[in-house]
Amino acid sequence: MSERQKKTFVITRFDPDTDEVPKTESYEIEVEPYWKILDAINYIKDEVDPSLSHRWSCRMAVCGSCGMMVNGEPRLTCKDRLSGYGDTIEISPLSNFPVIRDLVVEMDGFMDKFNQVKPWIIRAKELAAEDGPMRQSPEELEEFKQFSMCINCMLCYSACPVVANEPEFLGPAAIALGHRYNIDSRDEGAAERNEVFRGEGTVFSCSYANECSEVCPKNVDPAAAVNQAKFNAVIDWATGLVISRDGKE
Amino acid sequence: MKTFLLRVEPLIWLLFGQGILIGTMLLTGWVLVVGILAPLGFFPNGMDYTRALDVASNPVSRLVLFALIALPLWKGAHHLRSLSIDLGGADRDTTVATTLYALAVVGTILAAIAVVRL
Repeated sequence: MSERQKKTFVITRFDPDTDEVPKTESYEIEVEPYWKILDAINYIKDEVDPSLSHRWSCRMAVCGSCGMMVNGEPRLTCKDRLSGYGDTIEISPLSNFPVIRDLVVEMDGFMDKFNQVKPWIIRAKELAAEDGPMRQSPEELEEFKQFSMCINCMLCYSACPVVANEPEFLGPAAIALGHRYNIDSRDEGAAERNEVFRGEGTVFSCSYANECSEVCPKNVDPAAAVNQAKFNAVIDWATGLVISRDGKE
Repeated sequence: MKTFLLRVEPLIWLLFGQGILIGTMLLTGWVLVVGILAPLGFFPNGMDYTRALDVASNPVSRLVLFALIALPLWKGAHHLRSLSIDLGGADRDTTVATTLYALAVVGTILAAIAVVRL
């Protein structure tokens, strides 16, 4: 039988109806050695303090809902075992996002950035159903597959120093997603997305701190995507100087 | 000016990117050889003034010298701009960026004049 162990969770609390600034509350609970951080937070919510608000869903690092700051680092709480942490663990909402309540952050700005990069296959002319499927070789799939593994957990936005300083910056996940479609052999919308990449939330704001790739729980390497996107945006810009978008010189 | 900076950002990033390559790899070696080892007498026969001027006057050498001087200026300007933002200067970014890139433009023009007049 495994032995339960006492751990203290210092959790940031914020109620917009009563609090002007966030405060912290400590919860000492007994945890099982196999628990993940999310298990402990769920236990606190279910057994100790039902007023605690947090987001979670799948518990298997797929839905990307349970990202939080753990001891000051953006972590996916369903993925991290408690055994890797000390007796006291600080939990706070993801940095660089407005807080709605306790550990729940506002995602609207993030979702808006996703929409800006048009994360869907753009075709100059839509294929009819009778044209059959758009075939793709394993090599063509491999080009972008890594970047399609993003689960939108927003940890990279929380870690990014540029997002912290420039709120309009498109950010790692959105750029990686746009780049994923730009290098998809079935897509014909790269020019449109490159316009967005050179626009208000410019990809060139990235100073390559690489923090996004460091914290990514799915090893997507958004920093690589951002830098490839920068290079492609420059080539597209230089090409546009000599060849107009309709293909005439 | 903010819109203009946004429009020329791909060009600035291209110059910055090349500046990283030149500045961190070639310029470091260049300074080591020409600025430190040669004055210390490591190349007694190979680096006298006449010979160095002769080599530098070659059109290809002039182009290399121009790149060695001008591109790291863009690297420096862009890095300092990023540093300014990291230090909380996002609000004054347009002024900082304009000043730094203007200095890089002046440096680039001076470098071009210098290599032409060699």
